[in-house]
Amino acid sequence: MKRFLLVSCIIVATSFMSRAQETFPRNDVRDKREGAYALTNGTIVVDYQTTMPNATLLIRDGKIERVGSGVSIPDGYTIIDLKGNYVYPSIIDPYSNYGLPKPERGQGGFRFSGQEQIQSKTKGAYNGNEAIKSEYSAADNFTVDAKEAKSLRESGFGAVVTFNPDGLARGTSALVTLDESSDNNVLLNPKASANYSFTKGSSKQLYPISTMGFIALLRQTYLDAKWYGVLNPRPFEDISLEHWIKSQSLPQFFDTKGWMEVLRADKLGDEFGVQYIIKGGGDEYQRINDVKATGAQLIIPVNYPDAYDVDDPLEAKEVSLEDMKHWELAPTNAAVLEKNGITFAFTAMGLKSEKEFLPNIRKAIEDGLSEQTALKAITYTPAAMVKATDRLGSLSQGKIASFIITSKPIFDEKSSILENWVQGHRYEFKPLDTKDYAGKYDLKIGSDSYKMEVSGEPGSQSAKIVVNDTTDIKLKTKFDKNLIEVSFTPEKEKGLVRLTGWTDSKGWSGKGQLINGTWVDWSANRTGDVEEKEKKGRPEKEELKPEMGSVIYPFVAHGNLQVPQQETILIKNGRLWTNEADGIIEETDILLKDGKIAQIGKNISAPGARVIDAKGKQVTSGIIDEHSHIAASSINDLATNSSMVRIGDVIDPTDEHIYTSLSGGVTAVQILHGSANPIGGQSALVKMRWGASPEGMKIKGADGFIKFALGENVKRTYNSSSIRFPQTRMGVEQVYVDAFSSAVEYEKKWNAFNSLSKKAKATAIAPRRDLAMETMDEIINGKRFITCHSYVQSEINMLMHVAEQFHFRVNTFTHILEGYKVADKMKEHGVGASTFSDWWDYKWEVRYAIPYNAAILHDAGVTVAINSDDAEMGRRLNQEAAKTIKYGGMSQEEAWKMVTLNPAKLLHLDSHMGSLKVGKDADVVIWSDNPLSIYAKAETTIVDGVVYYDIKEDAKKNEWIEKERARLIQEMKAMKKEGGPTQKPRGIKRGDFHCDDLTVDLNTLNN
Amino acid sequence: MKKIILNILVSLFVGASTFAQTPQPAKPQSEAILLKGGIAHLGNGKVIENSLIGFDNGKLTLVADATRTKIDVAGYKEIDIHGQHVYPGFILPNSQVGIEEVSSIRAMDDYAEVGEMKPNVRSLVAYNTDSKIPPTLRYNGVLIVETTPTGGRISGTSSVMNMDGWNWEDAALKEDIGVHLNWPNRMSRRFDFATFSSKREPNKKYDEQVKELDAFFLDALSYAGLSNKERNLKLEAMGGLFSGEKTLFIHAGGAKEIVESVKFAQGHGVKKVVILSGDEALDAATFLAENKIPVILPPTHQLPDNTDIDVYEPFKMPYLLTKAGVTVALSHEGMLANARNLAFYAGSAAAYGLSKEEAIQLVTLNAAKALGIDAIVGSLEEGKHATLFVSKGDALDMMSNDLSYAFINGKQIVLDNAQQALYHRYEEKYKEE
Repeated sequence: MKRFLLVSCIIVATSFMSRAQETFPRNDVRDKREGAYALTNGTIVVDYQTTMPNATLLIRDGKIERVGSGVSIPDGYTIIDLKGNYVYPSIIDPYSNYGLPKPERGQGGFRFSGQEQIQSKTKGAYNGNEAIKSEYSAADNFTVDAKEAKSLRESGFGAVVTFNPDGLARGTSALVTLDESSDNNVLLNPKASANYSFTKGSSKQLYPISTMGFIALLRQTYLDAKWYGVLNPRPFEDISLEHWIKSQSLPQFFDTKGWMEVLRADKLGDEFGVQYIIKGGGDEYQRINDVKATGAQLIIPVNYPDAYDVDDPLEAKEVSLEDMKHWELAPTNAAVLEKNGITFAFTAMGLKSEKEFLPNIRKAIEDGLSEQTALKAITYTPAAMVKATDRLGSLSQGKIASFIITSKPIFDEKSSILENWVQGHRYEFKPLDTKDYAGKYDLKIGSDSYKMEVSGEPGSQSAKIVVNDTTDIKLKTKFDKNLIEVSFTPEKEKGLVRLTGWTDSKGWSGKGQLINGTWVDWSANRTGDVEEKEKKGRPEKEELKPEMGSVIYPFVAHGNLQVPQQETILIKNGRLWTNEADGIIEETDILLKDGKIAQIGKNISAPGARVIDAKGKQVTSGIIDEHSHIAASSINDLATNSSMVRIGDVIDPTDEHIYTSLSGGVTAVQILHGSANPIGGQSALVKMRWGASPEGMKIKGADGFIKFALGENVKRTYNSSSIRFPQTRMGVEQVYVDAFSSAVEYEKKWNAFNSLSKKAKATAIAPRRDLAMETMDEIINGKRFITCHSYVQSEINMLMHVAEQFHFRVNTFTHILEGYKVADKMKEHGVGASTFSDWWDYKWEVRYAIPYNAAILHDAGVTVAINSDDAEMGRRLNQEAAKTIKYGGMSQEEAWKMVTLNPAKLLHLDSHMGSLKVGKDADVVIWSDNPLSIYAKAETTIVDGVVYYDIKEDAKKNEWIEKERARLIQEMKAMKKEGGPTQKPRGIKRGDFHCDDLTVDLNTLNN
Repeated sequence: MKKIILNILVSLFVGASTFAQTPQPAKPQSEAILLKGGIAHLGNGKVIENSLIGFDNGKLTLVADATRTKIDVAGYKEIDIHGQHVYPGFILPNSQVGIEEVSSIRAMDDYAEVGEMKPNVRSLVAYNTDSKIPPTLRYNGVLIVETTPTGGRISGTSSVMNMDGWNWEDAALKEDIGVHLNWPNRMSRRFDFATFSSKREPNKKYDEQVKELDAFFLDALSYAGLSNKERNLKLEAMGGLFSGEKTLFIHAGGAKEIVESVKFAQGHGVKKVVILSGDEALDAATFLAENKIPVILPPTHQLPDNTDIDVYEPFKMPYLLTKAGVTVALSHEGMLANARNLAFYAGSAAAYGLSKEEAIQLVTLNAAKALGIDAIVGSLEEGKHATLFVSKGDALDMMSNDLSYAFINGKQIVLDNAQQALYHRYEEKYKEE
């Protein structure tokens, strides 16, 4: 059999050579062959909607001539009897790296130490950022890879869209077939799509280093391309931008790792009127409504996780509920997409082997995907995505003759791929007419007689000798089209009886050799069918499939089975900390309605309201953390001026710290950029809406803020070989003065342009838009506000001077541990302070930090907040506020305001947050005790009138988590027992997993 | 350059009297003192609402209920502390107090020696009584610390220090109390640059690492028994473990590691074992209780180790382990300066399951037991060191932790330090303006 294949390969290969390009030199006589075939007598699936039983397919010269039942076969066509087998358009993978050189592996440009690479090192007139590789053309680098092509063909693929997985802008992909005739012949479209990603790749350049930086760079590149495109003559050449511009008309493919990035990519595209086709992560079911709302077509991987090996209960603790649930639900992803009307294609990307592709799609079908949609997703849709339906994806007249022949319907578990034809070239794997030898036989070997049975599916049948009801002897057999080999060890003997033979009218006969070497004749005559025995052991699939768990929002332990809803809530008889002129009022009711505080007073009645008895409890407005880094996928980027990056681009609503924050009475936070640079990124103001979408977390209409930073972090104190400017506090000042001066110039240029007459504008060229400069201008013009990481008095003083020089005010100094030394100056400047209660001495610049800082600043008339900068402290901010009583003798009410009303003021949210006042947001916490006490627990945390945290519900959630884990563990064990693949439990600290981990590592820079 | 140094020196001397120096060490107790009328939390779970606490020559001489007995208190200098609370000095185990100053500056750190097996390295001799940190801990009631080397497989030998003294000899409460062992983890963490993420995966070297320890302990045990031998400082430093003079402090990262390491120590003739571990200890609680192994926990002010755990678990840990019959003490991790919050870690334990008196035990008698110093400190009992403090309110709550007096070995120590000096300096500055 093997030899046969080898021979056929050689034949095929020879015939390819004759199909070389006309323009190529020849070293023989002309040898043009027509390739005319008629495939008859099979079920032909013309496209995902049309199946023709008993039909004929005519192909000639690599194209489909005709398809249909009752098609007459012209003379001279090689007839191939399909013998009842099935023909499908070959599978297309829209997302492949086939035939391309592997890119160099980068480290994202990040190094723990050593010199930073500020500039691009790409040689040539390319983009200033190495991660913009729009100039890359897959077609220019593509060559047939016979080994890979073979393996893909064996799994049913006929064509792929191949791209270079390197860079944020990855250039263009090519549509190629998996034929091996010649590079020229298989390249169907040298510009199939333009590809983008959130993975930096081989670039070693410093900026960007985070997902928000990636987004910022792509955003700026869109703007640059637009500006550059109209320059005539070009004042400089940027080959990358040239290609970027040219490739905009192609289908735009965006690579992501899951639903969160799907939303991010789509949002980026929306800004520039681009609808990406997005490669997802297989977890889209976890947030399907938002994914659907993107309107994007998706390319979906089928790399479902293996079950975890959970035999050891302690080791099983390493597996999170989230991972367990994803293991269970990942195969349902496609069905969920289908149900929601999302157009998608499948890709084999991410699989260990293409061989898993069809079996995994069958799993998706088992879990609810329709066969028609499945077929569409591997044929028509991928072709449509690269505008190739005129050539691929179906078997109608004129299409390229790329199809597969299968033994059974393609999604049948027992179906195998017999042949794969690409561009009219035939690649055979198994014979079309595998004989069915199943049956009972009388086996005679010389003078011995045996009862033999053959069973199993044709092509993989096995035989045994039946000795009696309980004893069988297994035969080693090799069935061929006409030949057979058998060997076995008879009962109570040692050694092998070896037979070889051929089919005859009754069964088989042939020659053989006994154990002692005697040559004998043998025969096996078929006597009848094997009785269908009752299937033992494995019950039917349907029975086997237990009920699946539900999606929770967010998809992490403590997520909600039902997304909590806004309610009318009447909290009765609590001790209210109003933060208003009324101060603390005893035994008072508060009514929350439509997300607002509707009424405060005694004996309020509100029919239909949910009533919470708060007698003996204390009720406050929610805690607001002015300085937080939770709920974002990245925190730091590293350009000295990173004002173009936005935390708002990378909100992560699945961060469990949202839930722990709620458990500590926190209702809103400012997610700040880190402190790696003098000018950091733009912050996001969010509420702790556990279960919301990334956009749903944001506080609508909030003012824009930005992080600045001073001191040891920004001067790269902790990397002794750093070369990044600035390295001293002197340099830090220059960064600011330079940035603001440049912004002033920038604004002038734009003002000049904008003041041109309509006519003049039409011929003038607009200045380049620079997102960093625009942000600087927002600051100068009072449209964006600075929260500045700061420690020592000199630098605090300096920044106030810089701001005054440009006629604006710094909004907030955060950390501000030496603020007490310049409290009077801060008061005069009008800046607020957001500080730690008692941190000091963790580095030199905080050596003289004192826990009285908050009290001194407060007494000097500065608005003071106590912040966390830390997820752990973030849920104990009530206690941190209480430390100002210990250190500095603050009153309880003033201490409390430092984590509620004062941060609301610093964030310009105090008009609707920060106190219990009618009309303000219903962000309310019910405490078991004085909220400043170490013994106080936040029992109920309400945001916008929605109960997002309740201490009793929390206990129930914990029970549910245990039960759900137990259920999934049992299922995984069942899977392991059945021999399914498993993986060893890995750690489950989520913070440690994400691709933006850099963020996590660089969090050390945030203090 | 010289000029600069001179300037620095001058400025140091000028500022010395106000804040640059640590407070003056206290003079020895010169007269018998009686704290009268306070609510005494004895540290052993008992409380006396109206107490008489007397001490002389550095030792407690009277711990009594003022309402029940008629006691002769002549000869005591009385201090009326009605309405205030008295506590034994809080004890901070497993800290780098005195050997770490500003962690980010290498020149100021003396806690991690190079090498793997270094039981011979002693924190005692590096302990800096002029460190700026101890005064801020004392201010909140921490009067005794264990100062502990870190790093490597065996980090070194720790000592227990009083938070007052002219030099380390003076400050030492008990020298060289134990050896700290970092037990290998079954799961190791690896940073993968390809995916830019860190992964936890089974530690392939676990068995090998345990074998190395096995060899080291066997050699040490043999060395302790040999009469004729060349001096080996490393093996010599292990000697106290087999005689019971020293405790083996095992830092273990998982329940299995806890069980294996304790059995290992027991199998190698170690007499006293203490486990330092996080919430993993819960899975080995019955084992720890049966074997009477005290556990030193990290701060309760932590986040759960992973998403699936009860959000309150770190707060509940002391309660859950205590309920299982384990002796539990609390320690500090992370930024050293924050160790001053030790009392509040105990406060949170009281909010989540323990009674307040049980919570106090976590940082007094239980900690003393874990460190093997409970015979002399850790509770207010006659005969023990007069190391105690008085707070105007509940010392476990930041709202009310407010010390009025503190004594170490009967010596009244100065509570104010450089931070209060700076506070007053700027308070004055703004008042004048």
